[in-house]
Amino acid sequence: MPSEFNRIRRDPWLTVGLLLLLLLAGLSLLGPLLTPHDPHDMSFMPLSTPSAQHWLGVNDGGMDIYSELVHSLRNTLWFGLLAGVCGLLLGATGGLAAAWYGGWLDQLLMRLADIILALPAILVLILLAAFFRPDPAWLALTLAALAWPNSAKVIRAQALGLKNQLHLQAARRMGASVGYLLRRHLLPELFPLYLVALAAKIRMAVFMEATLAFLGLFDPARKSLGMMISYALKYYYLEIWPYWLLPPIICLTLLIMGATFLAVSLEKFFDPRLREL
Amino acid sequence: MNTRHQPLYAYLLAALVMVGLSYGLPLLLPGDYIEAVYGSSQVVLDAEQEAQLRQELGGRKGFAAHLWGLVTLDWGHSLALQTPVSRLVLEALPWTLLLLGTAHLLALVLGFIAGVEAAWRRGGRLEKAGVGGATMLQGVPEIGSGVLLLLLFAYHLGWFPAGGATTAYAELSGGPWLLDVLHHLALPLLTLVLAYLPGNFLLTRAGMVMILGSPYLETARAKGLPPLRVRYVHAARNALLPVLTRFGLRLAFMITGALVVETIFAYPGLGTLLFTAIGSRDLPVIQAVVLLAALLMLLINLGLALLHRRLDPRIGHAL
Repeated sequence: MPSEFNRIRRDPWLTVGLLLLLLLAGLSLLGPLLTPHDPHDMSFMPLSTPSAQHWLGVNDGGMDIYSELVHSLRNTLWFGLLAGVCGLLLGATGGLAAAWYGGWLDQLLMRLADIILALPAILVLILLAAFFRPDPAWLALTLAALAWPNSAKVIRAQALGLKNQLHLQAARRMGASVGYLLRRHLLPELFPLYLVALAAKIRMAVFMEATLAFLGLFDPARKSLGMMISYALKYYYLEIWPYWLLPPIICLTLLIMGATFLAVSLEKFFDPRLREL
Repeated sequence: MNTRHQPLYAYLLAALVMVGLSYGLPLLLPGDYIEAVYGSSQVVLDAEQEAQLRQELGGRKGFAAHLWGLVTLDWGHSLALQTPVSRLVLEALPWTLLLLGTAHLLALVLGFIAGVEAAWRRGGRLEKAGVGGATMLQGVPEIGSGVLLLLLFAYHLGWFPAGGATTAYAELSGGPWLLDVLHHLALPLLTLVLAYLPGNFLLTRAGMVMILGSPYLETARAKGLPPLRVRYVHAARNALLPVLTRFGLRLAFMITGALVVETIFAYPGLGTLLFTAIGSRDLPVIQAVVLLAALLMLLINLGLALLHRRLDPRIGHAL
């Protein structure tokens, strides 16, 4: 593994992906400091073009577009991280448990994974969102619950191989507890797999969030890039459109690009399925 | 590379889950169905209409009746448009199938050929540029590329129509009608092909690069077979399987993009129908579109799994 870490550090895709994500995360965290406006403040002159006060102008509802953008980015990132991290936690737990205990638990988890893998996650989310208008956090968690099987299967396969290796057998003979083995050996030794899975999951979650928002399935008061694009598109004939429509498109594209580059680069170096070929 | 499909029963159970959700979720809505639906929709009912609706939808159907209703195209009435849901959905479905079918076919054929040729010329400048470009393109969501194409080619240059599937009231037929349909199809199609092609290209190339080193190709070449035959009949055949598998695995992801693309270009398919229904909180329509899309997707996946079994005899007994 160390040699791979050394090689991957020189991969331009990884560098660019990380830079893009850091840049956008920085903008979403530090952005609000640069502008005094509340994104929900509707007291400005609607549809005015950019000025020193409003860097990207004001939207149809009289809200500062730059503040809207920064808050949208934050909401999107939060959704992606929540769904990605929880999906990974579920996947790692499921995969490791299935590999370690085997037997009926393994059977149960893997059959469940097969069924969930066949389910179209976006359609389930649309149905839930349309019927219950839940909090976005709940949708992110639902997405995590639908997205774990992929990584669970990969992690299970690798953990099965690891389980029979000599140093693990030695540790077991010396009386190490299951908890210890999982904590000290299986979890850390599969570390690169988590990175691969996390990058792919965050990418998927961001994409889903943008789609759900674009389709109008979130609370309209919740700022999001997808919703901004969908609203701004209706005003393309006004002078303001480039300042209103292009920034969220650019942000969303850069965000998904960053996650994609990370996922591609990590997969290239660490995905055992690719190495087999 | 994971070339394994889901076991066949998984599709059946997943379909059952979807049908169950579409039956069960409305039951979980707070209060009366009509109250819950109309309370948050833009449709306002007077007392008489409400009483009539209660009579129509009154008794909750059992699960068996619900299933029978699904089979007999009795999917309820649209609340906002007052038309049978089945008619709305069946009017929209052909356009979605046309758009998605053409996009997938083009992306598959073009991506596959490009991938095979790139692998054949591996190490060259063209191949490197192709891989770089495809990786970049993979990071562009349909929302971004679709809106930009719409702005540039429809709004700014005016080369293509900005919405619809045919020119309204033009009453064309035959050749001109077909041209009109293609003219409207071009931009959404391009957006989707741009989204689907890179993945197919990269996967074919990766698979081909692995295959090109195998001894059986050496044999084929040593026999003096023409390069094109070696490339496509002998080598590329084996690179096709992972592409098909990936297609199945990513179908749900692709549907997500298709919903957005149809909405951006106001293409009158299921995606736009869903978008309008979400806007007016037309729950029966949302329910029907989601269920139909899910079942179609599962059916396609099932078909792919069976096809895969035919194409690759090695996994026949593993399924």
